[in-house]
Amino acid sequence: MTMEAESDRVIDARGSYCPGPLMELIKAIKEEETGKIIEVWSSDESSAKDIPEWVKKAGHELIGVFKESDYWRIVVRKTK
Amino acid sequence: MGKLAIVLASGELEKIQAASIIASVASTLGNEVIIFATMDGLMAFRKDIVEKKAWKTAGDLGKGMIEANVPLFIDTLKQAKEVGNLKLYACGMIMDMLRMKIDEFVDIFDDVVGVSAFLGMVEDAKVIFI
Repeated sequence: MTMEAESDRVIDARGSYCPGPLMELIKAIKEEETGKIIEVWSSDESSAKDIPEWVKKAGHELIGVFKESDYWRIVVRKTK
Repeated sequence: MGKLAIVLASGELEKIQAASIIASVASTLGNEVIIFATMDGLMAFRKDIVEKKAWKTAGDLGKGMIEANVPLFIDTLKQAKEVGNLKLYACGMIMDMLRMKIDEFVDIFDDVVGVSAFLGMVEDAKVIFI
């Protein structure tokens, strides 16, 4: 497992497809305070590729996309 | 950011799914998004059809979406309304013609409007017809 800053919230969206993981992440970002780190787990590769695009457009910080055995962890810091 | 309007006239699940995903994600990125459901596109929101998942499909892809663990458009749109700037309008003309009431549709619409009201809302929007 890759080490990085500890997440404040983990969303397990494995088994769901686009746009499920993204919509769950967006909901969590709305709910959390600025500065919090949120990670979403997705077994859907297109979500793993598209969520960083959303993060960039929305102006939050992408800490990283980490490939695990059969899913991705997309880690995001809410910046505004 | 901009303003996006989608005229949803198709009742085919594949098209509604695509429209709902694009609309929902756009609404979370600072865009104002309006969906006008009319014709068969409005019928896809009927309570009885939603409960039975009895949507028309263009083919096997749509049938597969119903069977697979894919977020269906109703749920995607509801989530988008919670976190984004998305409004849904039901076409009044179709409801008058079929003598239907808004409570025969799933509880997702912001209002029932006619074409003139819709055109007024989308004067400054990009409009996509599906």
